[in-house]
Amino acid sequence: MTLLDSTLGRRGLVAAGLLASPLAQSQPANAVNFIGWSAAVDQVRAQITAFQAATGIAVNYENFPFAQYRTALVTRLVANAPIDVSWISDAWLPEFAEAGWLADISDVPALMRYNAEAAQYCTQSMVYNGKQYGLSYYGDHMSFMVNTDMLARAGITTPPTTWEEVVEQSLRMKAQGIAEFPLLLSLAADTWLIEFVSALTFSFGGRFVDDAGASVMADPARGAVRAARFLREAIHTHRILSPGAVETGEINGLRAFGSGAHAFAIVPTYRIRALNDPAQSSAAGKIRLALMPKGGPNGTHDTCGWIRFYGMTPGAKADRARRERTLRFMEFFGGRDTSGNYSMQKLLLTDMGLPSCALPLAQDPDVVRFWDRWAGGGAVVAQQAGLARKKDTISPWFGEWVETSNQAWQTVCLGRAEPEAAMRAAGTKWTELRRAFR
Amino acid sequence: MRLGYDERSAALLVAPVLGVLLVVAAFPIVYSFWVSLHDIVLTRPLRRPFVGFDNYLRIFDDARFWTAVSRTTVYTLVCVVATTLLAVLVALLLNEVFPGQRLLSALLLVPWATPSVVNGLMWKWIYDPTYGLLNGLLVQVGLLERYRVWLSDPDITLLLIANAAIWKQMPLAALLMIVTMKAIPEDLYRAARVDGANVWQRFVHVTLPALRPGLMLVLVYETMISIRHFDLFLIMTQGGPGDASLTLSWLIYVETFRSLRFGTGAAMSYILAITTFALSWAVIRFLGKRI
Repeated sequence: MTLLDSTLGRRGLVAAGLLASPLAQSQPANAVNFIGWSAAVDQVRAQITAFQAATGIAVNYENFPFAQYRTALVTRLVANAPIDVSWISDAWLPEFAEAGWLADISDVPALMRYNAEAAQYCTQSMVYNGKQYGLSYYGDHMSFMVNTDMLARAGITTPPTTWEEVVEQSLRMKAQGIAEFPLLLSLAADTWLIEFVSALTFSFGGRFVDDAGASVMADPARGAVRAARFLREAIHTHRILSPGAVETGEINGLRAFGSGAHAFAIVPTYRIRALNDPAQSSAAGKIRLALMPKGGPNGTHDTCGWIRFYGMTPGAKADRARRERTLRFMEFFGGRDTSGNYSMQKLLLTDMGLPSCALPLAQDPDVVRFWDRWAGGGAVVAQQAGLARKKDTISPWFGEWVETSNQAWQTVCLGRAEPEAAMRAAGTKWTELRRAFR
Repeated sequence: MRLGYDERSAALLVAPVLGVLLVVAAFPIVYSFWVSLHDIVLTRPLRRPFVGFDNYLRIFDDARFWTAVSRTTVYTLVCVVATTLLAVLVALLLNEVFPGQRLLSALLLVPWATPSVVNGLMWKWIYDPTYGLLNGLLVQVGLLERYRVWLSDPDITLLLIANAAIWKQMPLAALLMIVTMKAIPEDLYRAARVDGANVWQRFVHVTLPALRPGLMLVLVYETMISIRHFDLFLIMTQGGPGDASLTLSWLIYVETFRSLRFGTGAAMSYILAITTFALSWAVIRFLGKRI
């Protein structure tokens, strides 16, 4: 028996950290232990209060910043911390499912019935190897947004429908002194980068891997290389995109776009509320959605979509009482509450702008009013949501591969590598990790 | 051999400290080495094979590792050389008596007293492409036509981070130098003056040889600190843009806490620790002989 096989082993690696965990220290009996990242905290607390009032079940709620969330959650799961339910990103589903940290809910009719009322790509994003592992928290996609005021000043009446038109209109704006860098993309090597470059790649008609899971990202005809070349030319040839994009994180990009200094941007759809809110944005009322421009000969209006969901741990599922409490929690938060309303989903949309996977909400008068007020109508959002595709790179090795991928895209943006070479490096890493996983 | 009363008392008194050291220092060192011999990936909890030194071999075969070695070497050299030179110059200045010398000595300690995270944030703001002090200053004095995106330029990223590190580390080094200088007997300078030595000759033949103990301390300390620097990279660039600031410490962080590969992360940590130890030993051995 090795030292690692002993009870110390890997659990010992993280046990010290867990001693400080509120979940480990104070656990009211009969409570649901829920972990999320530090987003929509007020809304979650409000819903927890409503849940406790409706069911009498207490909730221990703990949250971490998103940037550290995966590591924090993994260390707790490895150490068998008493977690019942947590927020999970679709990108982590395969590795978490393979590790045995998520419980399959396919045998829970009370939760599975919500699939009939959910957008198809949302449900698909929670399925791995034919089993469903959760109920949605929210589902969103990357949107192409335009500053209508700047377009009007440049005499442009129709937003661009292709990336070639984006370049042409940007150059016009540059020549007229309207904006130094009309296009804004947040390309910092953080957790958002893969969503941005996936959206761009899909719009160039491309993909990273084929249906069998083999890398095609280095294939010049499959879009990723074309998208990478577009970025490099936007920065170095046309100079319509700032070289500082490589150090612009999503939140800073949002602020920059809200300042009114840029005409075009790719932004998560839920940010439309903040961008058109006069209290948060100088460009309020001027930001509108357009379909993702097509790029190259095989271009599409497709974009990258993602979902976050409530996942139950196998430990919670195995214990009858915990399972009962957790399922009620998941339904109350990810489905309908005890009054039969999608209260959490609606709260997240109207308060935060987070789009819901629940289709019935689209007809809700408050939701219709929300999109009318903040986006000038919900037609484009609905059309773009229908063209959203989940990241094709989601796999058990995604977490490791994405580090190499981020570096490859940044190297292209810096002009330090040819798009083909950078994508080849990312592809080689993909193949190596895929092979190692078998 | 029977221990006497004194020896037994001493052993008893030392035992608690020794026990604590074993738990907090010796055990983690041995355990992390054991971890480095396994292929441990946290997201694959059902497998943890013993791989011997395969992790080390895999690291040496990884292009990223050699990029990190190269970046770490450049960064360490710049930091150590610049910090030491500046520290000697500042120490020479503050060793003189002039009005405001005490105030200047006190002000010198401000960067050193600044927490590392604050230092990183401060310099990140100074370099900011939209509201940064550096851009504002250079544009106002006419040295720059328009605001520049400093940290996104891979040619200078490492130097900009090194600048932030030097700003923080130099005061302590200067302080050590001043203390060493104060210990130089005034008689040596008087004798040199009698022999007709000018300022430069007095510096080269009296001050510099006497500075060796302090110099050795500064070189060892700065090398150990710079080679393992992490906080500035986390705050300012996260190893980017691209791999422009991919140092060994950052690579270890990525491997261990992002990729969650504890086996290779531990192996890289061992390589870094051994390198740091070897460099320190070399400096001590090289300069120690001349003291």
